Amino acid sequence: MVKKRIIKKINNTREKINLIDFDAHWYRRVFHAFGASFVFYYMLPDLEWINILKIIIPAIIVIVAILLEILRIKGFINSNHFFGLRMYEKKRIGSYVFFAVGILILLMFFPQQIAIPCILCACLGDPIIGEIRNRFSKKYVYVVGFLICMSFFLISWYSVNLYLLIFVSVVGGLGAAIGEIKKIYWLDDDFMIQILPAIILGLIWIAIPYLGLNYPDILIQPFYWPW
Amino acid sequence: MRYIKNKKNGFKVIRTEILFTPILVTIPFIIGFLLINDWYYRGVLEGSAVEFYGELIIGLAIIFGNIIFDIPFIKSLRELSKKNK
Repeated sequence: MVKKRIIKKINNTREKINLIDFDAHWYRRVFHAFGASFVFYYMLPDLEWINILKIIIPAIIVIVAILLEILRIKGFINSNHFFGLRMYEKKRIGSYVFFAVGILILLMFFPQQIAIPCILCACLGDPIIGEIRNRFSKKYVYVVGFLICMSFFLISWYSVNLYLLIFVSVVGGLGAAIGEIKKIYWLDDDFMIQILPAIILGLIWIAIPYLGLNYPDILIQPFYWPW
Repeated sequence: MRYIKNKKNGFKVIRTEILFTPILVTIPFIIGFLLINDWYYRGVLEGSAVEFYGELIIGLAIIFGNIIFDIPFIKSLRELSKKNK
């Protein structure tokens, strides 16, 4: 009787823990998708004082995230306070920091025509690829990952010459897919999926005027001030 | 995939998750609609819709991209709250 009760309790606890596991999974996915909201950065009016804040505020957010991570790894803050962290992140920098640093680099150093599709790859492409990896065979991950990331470059560079559009989309999609699929322990895929295509596209961006082609149109126009 | 979890803080964690839900769910929609709104008012109504197509496309991508993950996330939260009752 007692044995049965213990087994029942163990099973109940296991179910509850599995539910928390499931929640952490979707929580991470939603957190990723939420990151797409950072394109709001480009909607902010183009005024001197706002441009200064555009540099200071994202930098402060990333510095705070890095400090929190240092305190967590050094053991001053318990890892249990960070919801949704994976086991392998217990003694390594959490992927949310890589995610934030990647977005910060894109916002600061790349034109929005490169930064926006790369942010979309990390925020929307990465969780979709993750779901495909969980539900279907791994061989689909490469193809679907490439197609999804390519579509973000296609919709962002729609205004350029057709050949350039195809080239950029294929190269950008490949860069993002490789960045996501190729796992490096100390360099998270959340960082690579953004930065690898951005660097490749940055090189293409430099070459565009030499090829006699036009740059793509700005995707998001800053708002007028006052609103 | 294995996540760091602790029975003691399980419910606290769920509470935090529920508190963050409105922000995580609504902000992308607000940003998406702001972009579409901007395309409509500054683009379509002022006769320069082409210049603002980027905003329409990005706005739609943000909204649909978020819907895909918001639905299962909210479902999982509802299931959890039902089981905890």
